[in-house]
Amino acid sequence: MKGYSSKWIRQRSTSVVLVPLTFWFVYNCIIFSKLNYSDLVLFFSSYLNSSLFLLMMISMLVHAKLGCETIITDYVSKKKLKTIFILIINIIFFLAIFVSLISIVMIINQNK
Amino acid sequence: MTENRPLSPHLSIHKRIPTAVFSIFHRFTGFALSIGSIFIVLWIAILALGPNYFFIYKTISSFLIFKIILFIWTIGIFFHLFNGIRYFFWSFGIGMKLKTVHNSSYLVILLTFLSTIIVWVAV
Repeated sequence: MKGYSSKWIRQRSTSVVLVPLTFWFVYNCIIFSKLNYSDLVLFFSSYLNSSLFLLMMISMLVHAKLGCETIITDYVSKKKLKTIFILIINIIFFLAIFVSLISIVMIINQNK
Repeated sequence: MTENRPLSPHLSIHKRIPTAVFSIFHRFTGFALSIGSIFIVLWIAILALGPNYFFIYKTISSFLIFKIILFIWTIGIFFHLFNGIRYFFWSFGIGMKLKTVHNSSYLVILLTFLSTIIVWVAV
């Protein structure tokens, strides 16, 4: 089926993007644990850091959305319930992408 | 009528095969990390709201349970990452010999614990 092969490709392409970005983020989290508020804002004010963070968040949330959808299709057999769950998952993850985008824009503007 | 249908063997009577355990754990960590990703979004949103809201994060992070969750989170991230790389190769039919499958699963465990220890020693 066309839809499933596209999902298969998206699941794997996002995972490839996530491998280096996860190492980058975990490494930075170690640094974050020693930073205060203004230092954190300064970190995300850098265009390189904020772009990498957004790229990670979008890939991560798309990857998570696809994974959660697979879990639902595998374990929920009632068709109506399945549709509702998948709709909820889609709303949550698209909202999450939107919030992270707005947040990064707010942080960059804050430091101007 | 439906109650008299033959039952399939119950999962619990099967011998736990390592590959099955890894698969279940990959799903479990994937689901947990999905919830975690929402918390990263909340964290960046608190940061964006300004210094007056940042104390929420400061308060939550001061609890010991926060550190414990973060530690388990680290294990989950690295397990899902390394096991995911293994599955990525499987998608292209690479490393699917039974011996390679077993050896790479040990490698996943080793790398997961080494990475987690390195991160928490550095913190």
